[in-house]
Amino acid sequence: MKNKLCLVSAKIGRTELPLGFKLMAACLFVGVVLFSAPGYAGNDMKLLKINSFENLQIQALVTGTVFDENGIPLPGASVVEEGTTNGVVTDFDGNFAISVENPNSILVVNYLGYKQQKIPANQEKIVVQLEPDAAALDEVVVVGYGTTVKRDVTGAVSSVSEDDLNQGAITNPLQQLVGKAAGVSINQTGSEPGSAPNVRIRGITSLIGGNDPLVVVDGIQGNMDLLNQIPPSEIASVDILKDASATAIYGSRGAPGVIIITTKKNKAGKSIVEFSSIGSLDFIPEQLDMLDANQWWQQAQKFEVPPSTNHGANTDWFNILTRTGATQNHTVAFGGGGNSFNYRASVSAILQQGVVINSNNRKFIGRITATQKALDDRLALTMNLNSGINNTKSSVQSIGRAAFTSNLISNAYLMRPTDPVFDVDGSYYTDPNVFQYINPYAVAEEVVNEGQNNNLFGSLNAEFELLSSLTATWFGSWRKTDNMTGFFLPVGSTVASAIDQDGFANINNNRQDEKLMNMSLAYKKEFENHFFDALALYEWQNQTYQGNYLQARGFFNDIATYNALQLGDLSRVQPGDISSYKNDRTLISFLGRVNYTFMDRYLLTLSYRRDGSSVFGENHKWGDFPAVAMGWRIDEEKFMEGDDFFDQLKLRAGYGVTGNQQGLYPQNSLSLVGAAGVTYFGGSQITNFNITQNANSDLRWETKKQANVGVDFTMLDYRLSGSIDAFTAKTDNLLFNYTVPQPPFPYGSIIANVGSIQNRGLELALSYELIRNDDLVFTLAGNGSLVDNEVLNLSGSINGVPLNTNYVPWGSNSFLIKGKPIGTFSILQHTGKDEANAETVLDRNGDGIIDQGIRSPDRVQAGSALPTYNFSINPTLQYKDFDFSMVWRGSGGNKIYNNLRQNLSLMENLGKSNVLESAIPLGLFTTQYGSDLWLEDGDFIRLENVTVGYLMQPDYKYIESVRISLTGRNLLLFTDYSGLDPELNLSGGNGFGGDMGIYPRTRSLALGLNVKFN
Amino acid sequence: MRLRYIIGLMLFSLMVIASCTKVDEEVYDKYPADDFYGSPEGADVALAGVYAKIAGNWGGVGYAGADNGWYDLNVMSTDEQVIPHRNTGDWQLDFARLFLHEWLPTDLIINNTWNWLYSSIFSANLAVEQLESSDANIEKIAEAKVLRAFFYYLLMDDFGNVPFYTENNVTVDQLPQISREQLYDFVVEELKKNIPHLPTTKGGAFYGRFNRWAGYALLAKVYLNSEVYIGVPQYEQTIATIEKLEEGGFSLHPGGASDTNPLGFSYYELFGDVLPEDETILAMYATANIVSRNILTVRSLSGPHAQALFGYSGWNGTIVPSAFYAMYQDQDVRKAQFKLGPQPGGVEYTLEVNNLDNPGADPFAGVRNMKFYPVDPMDGGGASNDFPIFRYADFILMKAESLVRLGREGEAKSLVDAIRQRAGLQPLTTNPTLEDVYKERGLELNWEGHRRQDMIRFGTFLDSNKFRGASQEFRKLYPIPTSALDANPNLVQNPGY
Repeated sequence: MKNKLCLVSAKIGRTELPLGFKLMAACLFVGVVLFSAPGYAGNDMKLLKINSFENLQIQALVTGTVFDENGIPLPGASVVEEGTTNGVVTDFDGNFAISVENPNSILVVNYLGYKQQKIPANQEKIVVQLEPDAAALDEVVVVGYGTTVKRDVTGAVSSVSEDDLNQGAITNPLQQLVGKAAGVSINQTGSEPGSAPNVRIRGITSLIGGNDPLVVVDGIQGNMDLLNQIPPSEIASVDILKDASATAIYGSRGAPGVIIITTKKNKAGKSIVEFSSIGSLDFIPEQLDMLDANQWWQQAQKFEVPPSTNHGANTDWFNILTRTGATQNHTVAFGGGGNSFNYRASVSAILQQGVVINSNNRKFIGRITATQKALDDRLALTMNLNSGINNTKSSVQSIGRAAFTSNLISNAYLMRPTDPVFDVDGSYYTDPNVFQYINPYAVAEEVVNEGQNNNLFGSLNAEFELLSSLTATWFGSWRKTDNMTGFFLPVGSTVASAIDQDGFANINNNRQDEKLMNMSLAYKKEFENHFFDALALYEWQNQTYQGNYLQARGFFNDIATYNALQLGDLSRVQPGDISSYKNDRTLISFLGRVNYTFMDRYLLTLSYRRDGSSVFGENHKWGDFPAVAMGWRIDEEKFMEGDDFFDQLKLRAGYGVTGNQQGLYPQNSLSLVGAAGVTYFGGSQITNFNITQNANSDLRWETKKQANVGVDFTMLDYRLSGSIDAFTAKTDNLLFNYTVPQPPFPYGSIIANVGSIQNRGLELALSYELIRNDDLVFTLAGNGSLVDNEVLNLSGSINGVPLNTNYVPWGSNSFLIKGKPIGTFSILQHTGKDEANAETVLDRNGDGIIDQGIRSPDRVQAGSALPTYNFSINPTLQYKDFDFSMVWRGSGGNKIYNNLRQNLSLMENLGKSNVLESAIPLGLFTTQYGSDLWLEDGDFIRLENVTVGYLMQPDYKYIESVRISLTGRNLLLFTDYSGLDPELNLSGGNGFGGDMGIYPRTRSLALGLNVKFN
Repeated sequence: MRLRYIIGLMLFSLMVIASCTKVDEEVYDKYPADDFYGSPEGADVALAGVYAKIAGNWGGVGYAGADNGWYDLNVMSTDEQVIPHRNTGDWQLDFARLFLHEWLPTDLIINNTWNWLYSSIFSANLAVEQLESSDANIEKIAEAKVLRAFFYYLLMDDFGNVPFYTENNVTVDQLPQISREQLYDFVVEELKKNIPHLPTTKGGAFYGRFNRWAGYALLAKVYLNSEVYIGVPQYEQTIATIEKLEEGGFSLHPGGASDTNPLGFSYYELFGDVLPEDETILAMYATANIVSRNILTVRSLSGPHAQALFGYSGWNGTIVPSAFYAMYQDQDVRKAQFKLGPQPGGVEYTLEVNNLDNPGADPFAGVRNMKFYPVDPMDGGGASNDFPIFRYADFILMKAESLVRLGREGEAKSLVDAIRQRAGLQPLTTNPTLEDVYKERGLELNWEGHRRQDMIRFGTFLDSNKFRGASQEFRKLYPIPTSALDANPNLVQNPGY
């Protein structure tokens, strides 16, 4: 009786599939008749059931329950009669009932993450308690278009599970990852509500091509904005693909790395209701030391500033523009279902009140994910739907008098402390004798700057087992984003442009429509010592961008703000007041991957992707991205038998070619004509046109070639585990907006692929369980990375035009210099000041002229804006029901050009603005230079996160558990940097590494409550 | 069996896939360049695009009217105007540096001027190409070529030895940096060849465009400064060219008292909204916030003064040095443009500026100028006055100067007197000297962008003044901006920098 059938065992049915079924599968695969499937499925199911009932009658029924290590029932554990295909799965209460062929047979109980147990079947009521599998390396790792287990991974992948994510009043998933993965640097510049941190994986590999990793959420691909649409509390795990052998599967989008987010799903057979709520108070830890009213007037007199500039008040401008902020994050989640159907739904609210007045962000996200199995569990349909609303009220981002433009809060520093906030008549104070005077309090109170972002994305995944070894999958996703910003700058704001125009208002609408569809075949087969896991996939993606912009000026009053542009003075319409656009891009890909394992110890991964993109130039429409990786599980070798030192030891090596096309926008390769305002010709005003860009039919993706070697190990009886990786990556065909001589080019720049840069790095991640006993677990984890960046070459030629692009300006006094890291400072050296208090610098070549040319011999190289090291130390402690964790984080080796300090240090501005206290000893009146006087070290160590939690499991039937936590974020900062915070824009883009003034980075204290209901 | 279905399935899938591999680019919201300029309408647009370069707007582009561009570079280095740093903290120091003859190759204003001129030449080259390839009539082709010569003339005047090209599809190695002499020959030849093709129409569709008379005006300017450019005087040619220009029938606009003009004299209509056809040869059109702008008055007046007059705050910028102001006699109608003493808004301007840079000028120090009395539409960002690039009074004085230089002072007297009498002054008692002509040019043409050229031609540009000693010879040419040298290492910097 070999063909024993069981309700939950579908294996045997496979051999008897009717022809119609296969045809249907074919239809399913091409996504044509997806929803006609149930008709066939129904017949087939009935047939199988009859068959199984016939066989059941002669069986002995064995029942039992499976528990976890804490005695909690485990639903979904598999129980199989050894040596047969006869098996069942435990129900919601951990119970199972299995009819065995032989009463003396052995039952094998398996549950993911637990050690296998074998139990004799000849017992009355079987109780199985599973032990967790200490070999946690077997956790599931998502590797892009599929999963594998950690011990089979051949590339450099960092995985962070839910329990390891940072806690607190989190507003963006990236904040949960700070300090958690080696080689993944996450930087937050200021705490503006709604602002997202910046992430760089293994350094900067592109100049204008974009360094943002690709984000994949449950198969949906997108940019960093997609992360902002994921409720932090709904994340189950994050996998970060770092090296090319892992990311090559994403081809022309894989070069900057890939962040894969898997959201929480409901466990089969379990109903849950969870509520979590976290609220924090946010404070400004530090502010710049500016002169007070008395100090200012003293200095003003010293520098012959006329008394007419002293308006006699004593105002703390920074103080009146700031407040204590608050952040809240609430989520209700629930789910349920059985083996063939389950779902999870959640609603989250993330509310932020900024520390600068009139800035806040409100985000609401609802999501639902549901899985239905059918056709004897051979078809699995998973639907995902996520909808979010994100409303932001921002302070003004860029404002200022002619000479200095920054955000609103930095403008508060500029204010003379002797200026009153209000005039005697109660209106906002302005000084008509200062050119373009701005009262920042008036701006904060009067300007309307609102953003409303609605987004929706959904996906359907249909997975069908054609054969036991062959699965066909169809996946489709659609993401829509509608973004509206409304802006109103009334006369009352005191801003000159608003006064000139009697107030102006504009509305900016942007729409994104991103569609993706892929079809794949996956083949898994094990025979003897060989294991194959292969994938073939076709993918089509299209992104369409549309938008419009409208502006009106000349409003009688402030009532309608931007809500009724028609109330403006329509006779004052100007060029640029009306505009709209539409463009799109299509990416088509073919990819294949083979994972081959021999003798469970030799691993080989081969992958290949071919991408065709509409944004590439005519001569390079298609690109190829191959990768190879190998792994060797040394601990499985005979010669390691009896080795007590290593529990697990694996060597990995990989090489791959990846691409980056973020920096290419639709139509970049074409020569196009656009409107350029209005001109006067032929006796009337007519629309003017000009060429908006140069054609470049050779335009293509950036190519990154990366080699990686790594070792994963576990030792000391699984107490110490870690990975070490070393890599070298070279980006060729570097995209750049190259400066070309004004003749023959119209704008002096052309986007082209010339040049290359290199990153070499070393990464280490360690976790050590110092103490483990029944009451106490104390783990010390940490990671660190070193990156050495070098611009190899920037020169080349385009259409026969030689480009000499060495020493390309890349920020204040920072450059792209061949053989040096990106953003290397080449700068004049401060020596002091002359008798007129003007700054003097060193004439290094002694020719009597201070040459400020970019290749000037008077400049000296003084480090780079790019950090060279990053580290994080992460102790965690679990004592009975208390838990405690800390994240210390640091980075450095970089320099910061402190533009803000320079602007706030020159006495020439004293008559109209305030200066820093440190400007007094400096006593500089003016400077013609940007010297190393303003260049500072960017090293810092920050106590990023401290969390204490207490878990209660009250003896109350409706409540499973309650956890209370207290989190402090950004509690300590150690740095020599004189500005507000050394964690600045480290994006690697033009102008990075400078400090133009930031929204304050907050220090926060949060109280959290997490309740799980029964 | 199974394998067969699977293979069939795969083949079918491949067929489906093969039909979705199209990755061509579609353009929805712009015109492809080739199609666009290939059409006759496109060619006209290319020509209009060159005039758009003259108009400019913000950001240091355009001939005059906005800031930080060609106009500032050519007037702030002279004795007629400067923006001092104020001891109240306003105004960066680069304007004062121009006046003090301490400008640097990195200065924004120099860089802006260079970039503006070369982007204009690109547009002119494009217009010539497109017009020729679309078989446009010869008048339009000639107009584009004269426009290009105009920009090269400005480059020759400010920078001397510069890169030269007339076709856009050339590579850098085919781009020679030619000498001032070579550029002079090109400009003269190009103008002589093309001026006769230009239409003779004045005003209407040709307001603000190069007609034949504007062409001759440009050529006369080149001849007048020939001695500076190539060391060879061309005064007879200057006179002959101006006489051709006079065939266009120009006359001096009446200058007397006027009830309608805010400054009290019809003379100032020459600097108003639509410039009068009798005297204006070539105008730059401006309508604030639409096409270019004219900031010259709001930039000069203090905040409360402009607020009281126009309802918009002034910038408290440009002043007229007292020595220049002192040249004007009280009865001169041209003195009405200056503001000194108490003003509406509770402001009192004082004559002297004591310091330009450190600690800077007192808030209300310095004489202000309202030659371009704002016309609507205006706001705090500027007004809509058109700007005279060439007007007849200039050419009368150029003719007088050429005559004096040729020793024909007697013929020059009536010319200088005509200018003086229009301004309400007595005729000269003797035949004019070079000094008389130079002074009259200063009085008549101040703030119109001619002063630097005049001071160099009359040898006064390097002279010391209240704020600086005599400057060095190399300051007669501006440096090629550092950014241009950085971008094209083949360029040779002008001596001295």
